Amino acid sequence: MSLIELHDVSHHYGSVCALQGVTVSLQPGAIGMIGQNGAGKSTLLKILLGLVRPSHGTGAVLGRNIRGSGAELRGSVGYMPEAESMVPGLRGVDLVALAGELCGMPRKHALRRAHEVLSYLGLDEARYRRSEEYSVGMKQRLKLAAAMVHDPELLLLDEPTAGLDPDGRDSMLSLLASLATRHGKSLMLSTHLLGDIDRVCSQVVIVDRGRVRGVGRISDLRAEYRGRFRLRWSGAATAFLESLRSGGVAVTVNGRPDECIAEVPEGWPTRRFFELARRDNFTLREVHPQEEDLEAVYHRLIQT
Amino acid sequence: MPIELTGYRGWEGKPRGSWRSVWAIVRSGVLMILRRWVFWLLIGLGLLNFIFNFAFIYLKATLTVQNEGMAQFLDNYQVTGTGEAYANFMQAQASITALLLAFAGASLIGADYRQGGMVFYLSRRIERRHYIVGKLLTVATIVTMITTLPALLLFAQYGVLSKSLDYFIDNPRIIAGIVGYGAVLAIVQSLLLFAVAAWVHRAVPLVMCWLGIFVLLEALGSAAREINDNRTWLLLGIWRDMHRLGEWCFGAREASRPPTSAQCAAVLAGVCVVCLIVIVRRVRAVEIVR
Repeated sequence: MSLIELHDVSHHYGSVCALQGVTVSLQPGAIGMIGQNGAGKSTLLKILLGLVRPSHGTGAVLGRNIRGSGAELRGSVGYMPEAESMVPGLRGVDLVALAGELCGMPRKHALRRAHEVLSYLGLDEARYRRSEEYSVGMKQRLKLAAAMVHDPELLLLDEPTAGLDPDGRDSMLSLLASLATRHGKSLMLSTHLLGDIDRVCSQVVIVDRGRVRGVGRISDLRAEYRGRFRLRWSGAATAFLESLRSGGVAVTVNGRPDECIAEVPEGWPTRRFFELARRDNFTLREVHPQEEDLEAVYHRLIQT
Repeated sequence: MPIELTGYRGWEGKPRGSWRSVWAIVRSGVLMILRRWVFWLLIGLGLLNFIFNFAFIYLKATLTVQNEGMAQFLDNYQVTGTGEAYANFMQAQASITALLLAFAGASLIGADYRQGGMVFYLSRRIERRHYIVGKLLTVATIVTMITTLPALLLFAQYGVLSKSLDYFIDNPRIIAGIVGYGAVLAIVQSLLLFAVAAWVHRAVPLVMCWLGIFVLLEALGSAAREINDNRTWLLLGIWRDMHRLGEWCFGAREASRPPTSAQCAAVLAGVCVVCLIVIVRRVRAVEIVR
């Protein structure tokens, strides 16, 4: 069963189109969501939380219809918002227990579970302090504790590392990775920090101006780019480059006279570079497959 | 403070219905008020009034045994035991409650808008209606704790310390009055507070609005009545309307000229409906994702 299944989902705020024709099928695991401000990420999160009924389209989260199963849906999903979400005057443990009760847990279970979760997140010593006295990093952990107290199958995390120092960020990312890999939780991470997604997530959704520009496993999206090589040589390369072009390779020379980027057609074997070089009596010094980082994938998909 | 998920255990219980969560909202709200010493100053004032009445009933019961003449003398003042006395007691308690709510409203409801409490509540397994009912019940519980509950205790004390338990049988209207007046106070004040705090989130503006509703409107009503020589203007005083309706609950004789109990009830019902519309419009679940 897919974790998230959306089919042709669109949403309009009056005349403004926030989402258009979103069709995705995401498998359980850690999923990153990238997009500029106003791209439609928040609207998508609202739809996934069952807070907004899409203007058009159908879908399901954890097998539950996104239309009309709002509260039930939120019972299986934990949401960690980017903005502060505290009830002033409550101690940390009471806040997390209250979150559990609001998710349908009996009081005793909620309280016991709140102690456990705060302990997992390293807040056991601060659990009896009032939530407004927590530092920024501790508030992030407290929000995460409140999101995972009822042991949801899916965690929706909005900028979970915002405001954290490098150590705190590292701990948070390790925790999220551990939740996904060792404890079988599914995560959807909405963030502007591509490094966070690269480190934690195996799937990604790229949203731009209300449309999904790319979706799937990060490794697969990178694979789409695997037909690019950086070639370096010594000597004159005119004949060699002509041979490449006549073989259907798109060659881009970027400033340096001894280097180019070659985009090869489907089914092009790497050894063919060396065969052509031998034929043209040419010294090819380096054939380097182009490794794309997530940022490059993002920009490439946005541009297309 | 290391993060350590070793030994992580899930929760495998069956979630309860969303309406059960309303109780959690009420409990946390009431506890939040009771944990702040500032609010205890006002709660203490209410307790003082209660203790005064409690002591007076005890004194009267003692004097009835020792000196019946003195007890009859005290009866002339109708400080305890009658519907009017309970109505006056509840009005005094309600004044303290109104003052308490003026300050507590910013923490109970305003903070949900300022500090993300709304996000906290509405991203859980509840709908808007559960949140609204929870918050209204929180305020209503505070009002009941300070007005209705002490009045019922005093009624019980008076009955128990009477010569016979016939007091309970002879005065069912007093119980109805206490419960009815308490309900009027709880419903009107909770709806008004929620509606005002949903617009004005901070304590000082909230106190000013609250005073405006209960004091300024009353003064305006009195002034308009003087100018136009029309007593209907008195209906503007919501505080007076609540007390008039409360007295009706205790079985007070109906006034022949405005404002009548029916008019007061109509005004209060109108205020409640407007407040409810404001509340529903101001609590928007979609705001939880920004």
